[in-house]
Amino acid sequence: MSKPEKNWVEWAVFAIGLVLVVSALSYLVYDGATMGSDPPSLEVRLGTPEQRAHNFIVPVTVTNHGDETAEGITIEVSMENTGGGEPARGELTIAFLPRRATREGFVTFQQDPRTAAQLTARVLGYGKP
Amino acid sequence: MPRRKSQKKETCRSVAESFQEYGRGVAGGLMFSLPLLYTMEVWWAGFSAHPWRLAAYVVATFVLLLGYNRFAGLRHDASMTEVAIDSVEELGLGFIIAALALFLLGRITFEMPANEIAGQIVIEAMTVAIGVSVGTAQLGGGKEDEGIEGSGRGAKGQPGIHFGGQMLLAFCGATLFASNVAPTEEIVVIAVESSWLRLVGLAFVSLLLGSLILHYSEFTGARELVSADGLSTVVVGSIITYAVALCAAALILWFFGRFDGVSLYTSLAQVIVLGVAATLGASAGRLLLQ
Repeated sequence: MSKPEKNWVEWAVFAIGLVLVVSALSYLVYDGATMGSDPPSLEVRLGTPEQRAHNFIVPVTVTNHGDETAEGITIEVSMENTGGGEPARGELTIAFLPRRATREGFVTFQQDPRTAAQLTARVLGYGKP
Repeated sequence: MPRRKSQKKETCRSVAESFQEYGRGVAGGLMFSLPLLYTMEVWWAGFSAHPWRLAAYVVATFVLLLGYNRFAGLRHDASMTEVAIDSVEELGLGFIIAALALFLLGRITFEMPANEIAGQIVIEAMTVAIGVSVGTAQLGGGKEDEGIEGSGRGAKGQPGIHFGGQMLLAFCGATLFASNVAPTEEIVVIAVESSWLRLVGLAFVSLLLGSLILHYSEFTGARELVSADGLSTVVVGSIITYAVALCAAALILWFFGRFDGVSLYTSLAQVIVLGVAATLGASAGRLLLQ
């Protein structure tokens, strides 16, 4: 059999398919070749606290700078009051954070975080998928 | 390019017929892959797997499609070039359908990094592509190839799909069925909790199911495709089908990283648990995917 008989629709679908397959494969190979093997490395950033009807919320942004996915990430935000005493704690769990990805969430407090002495966030722990 | 001049009915399908065929492909792709598009573990595997593993998955799927289109596709007279072209088309459709579906399901957003989007699309697209291939071949009336194929499922038009071809079809079927449950946590849970006696029971049931489908249940095509003379043929046929199913199950489990950091016993248990689904697919593949 020499040249396959196809109409223009089929050639178009084939062309698109070929482009998609080749680009997907080249992207995957390139991505695999350029990525390192660092374990997950998480960075937590806190946004500006806001007042809501029943509590105060603090936006939390967590970014994974490593080359592996982190699973079941627990983030703790603690607020130290100006008057001293036991700091208030807020907690946030994120199911999955792929490499180079960013997820957002909120922790809530009963007291106003804007008047707090210090607001600190840290990652308590995470697993490998 | 054979455009207008080869509009003759017997050499070239009309544009409308092509669209019909792609429509069948899209429907089939969604039908067979919907369970996987709706499975969390698959999304997770998409962005957790190493890019090279995903690339290997694409290549493996392409090889499967080549085999399937060669032995079970609509056009049995197709040259290898046509088979390759069809397979590329199916992969392309798979990518497009998977991307659209994942976007509509909210699994990919524009804020995600490229690797997360690509990983999820690639992993879902492969199942969709196999579904497209099966859908195109199975759901159609085979209108445009009536002259070549006859009206039936083509069992007569292909007097001897040889043994290797049948095994390839069995492998395709096993992959299609097993990949629906392979990525779920349930397989691991069952494998870890089952006693060895249960596992032996599962293996036995798998063999039984295989021989039932292939030899006793009068499935379409069973007569023409599987020679059922003698008990030994039945036993050997079922065992070979089961072996193919186990290979497919192991390969899929490996791909989803289910063998990483577990003992040999747990790995084997998972293969046997998944082997039930794979055997159903493998036996059906030998008969139904024709």
